[in-house]
Amino acid sequence: MIRRCFQVAGRLGQHRVLPAVPQVLPRLNPTSAFGSSTDALVSRFCLKKTDLKDYALPNASWCPDMLTLYQEFLEKTKTDGWIKLPSFKSNRDHIQGLKLPFGLAVASDKSDWRIFTRCIQVEGQGYEYVIFFHPSKKKSICLFQPGPYLEGAPGFAHGGSLAAMMDETFSKTAYLAGEGLFTVSLNIRFKNLIPVGSLAVLKVDVEKVEDQKLYMSCIAQSRDQQTVYAKCSGVFLQLQLEEESSQ
Amino acid sequence: MLRSCASRLRKPGALRGPLGGTPPPARGSRPPPVSPGAGRRERAAGPGCVWGEPRSFSSEVIYVDHSLPNSSWSKDMRLLFDQFMKKTEDGSWKRLPSYKSVSPQRIEELKTFFPDAKPIKEHMSQAQLFPRSLEEGLGFEYAMFHNHVENRTVCIFQGGPYLQGVPGFLHGGAIATMIDSTVGMCAFIAEGIVMTANLNISFRRPIPLCSVVVINSQLDKVEGRKLFVSCNVQSVDEKTLYSEATSLFVKLDPKKSLT
Repeated sequence: MIRRCFQVAGRLGQHRVLPAVPQVLPRLNPTSAFGSSTDALVSRFCLKKTDLKDYALPNASWCPDMLTLYQEFLEKTKTDGWIKLPSFKSNRDHIQGLKLPFGLAVASDKSDWRIFTRCIQVEGQGYEYVIFFHPSKKKSICLFQPGPYLEGAPGFAHGGSLAAMMDETFSKTAYLAGEGLFTVSLNIRFKNLIPVGSLAVLKVDVEKVEDQKLYMSCIAQSRDQQTVYAKCSGVFLQLQLEEESSQ
Repeated sequence: MLRSCASRLRKPGALRGPLGGTPPPARGSRPPPVSPGAGRRERAAGPGCVWGEPRSFSSEVIYVDHSLPNSSWSKDMRLLFDQFMKKTEDGSWKRLPSYKSVSPQRIEELKTFFPDAKPIKEHMSQAQLFPRSLEEGLGFEYAMFHNHVENRTVCIFQGGPYLQGVPGFLHGGAIATMIDSTVGMCAFIAEGIVMTANLNISFRRPIPLCSVVVINSQLDKVEGRKLFVSCNVQSVDEKTLYSEATSLFVKLDPKKSLT
């Protein structure tokens, strides 16, 4: 297996790693080469029966634009094949029963750790967002409303918060479309600022899957598409999670 | 006025923030404010700290400098901080203070660029600079140092438990936020108020949550109103390269509004 790992290392190419540092390598499983189907991934991800709080639900802080678009997409989940993704307070909750491959798994993953985009718990103050995913078209829409705690320039969202929202939407899309796990690169072109409290619509598409990497593009716009906030391309590395019971 | 601020900034040893000390409204970059001594401070400034002329100001709001050690800082973080503080002793390096929110003077200044921004009062009560909006130890714990001779800004950063992405690791967006803040600060110190135009990050290795990293940024070149800044993110012992980034900032033109 080590030999195979080194062959993969050669293919990964652009990962320049300092010598004497063991490289992070995906595990190749010939019997199911990144074969978990999107449907299987989705159903495992979207736990139907759970006590976990789903943060991707409307609350009093959502602006009218966000509520309207949310309802529109909710309708599309019934008719057009879209799925509303739940959003739990930690990614660990989304991958119950699964773990990172040996060498990557962190021994002490404490229960009070939270996913970055749910770090601010006060309603309306931080990230308010919901992601809709279309399994067969391999695309996502994220409705994002930045709160006052995400401020950069007075009255506008910090660019880092938009970068994080794009990364997060890429992350969920990459995982469900092809077990993408780690961000390899992000290339963001900022165009306009997002006013705090207003809605930004992020559209993500999977452009291609090649060499164990998923290539995606994202455009963040106002609801009427008259203002482009930013464009971004992102690459994610595919990495298969393991069943927790396996050693 | 802004131009004179910028020229003052360029003088070696005269590193000071713009009036009222806040960060440039960099889109994507919201570097911690380089603030002159305005208002009262809860914690005493250590040696090597950056102060401009004291300004009188309403003392109703206390500006707390968050770029100082607190109980959530790990041993690595404190050691690194001390190492950099030593470097400030000869004057080539300066520590940059960092506040949670924007001072009133700064808001006035920035209004020329953002005429549609919401009224000040609403801001002051709610808004917080994003990387400073989480409680101690839970989010971004960081301190920045600047070397004006080499035009380098270094940020020591400890990412807390609320910045998780893949379980056990720092979220890519959190890394992006800190990279943006660091390169933005580098650009801002060089040329004044700037905005992020492009940010290009290569992630080499995932960063374990709650570990300490060093973000080294360097102003590579200035072309008219464009600033090219690059950086790398390394482990404390410099043996692990976590990420690399290049960025493009644009110096704002005081004559033009952005919205």
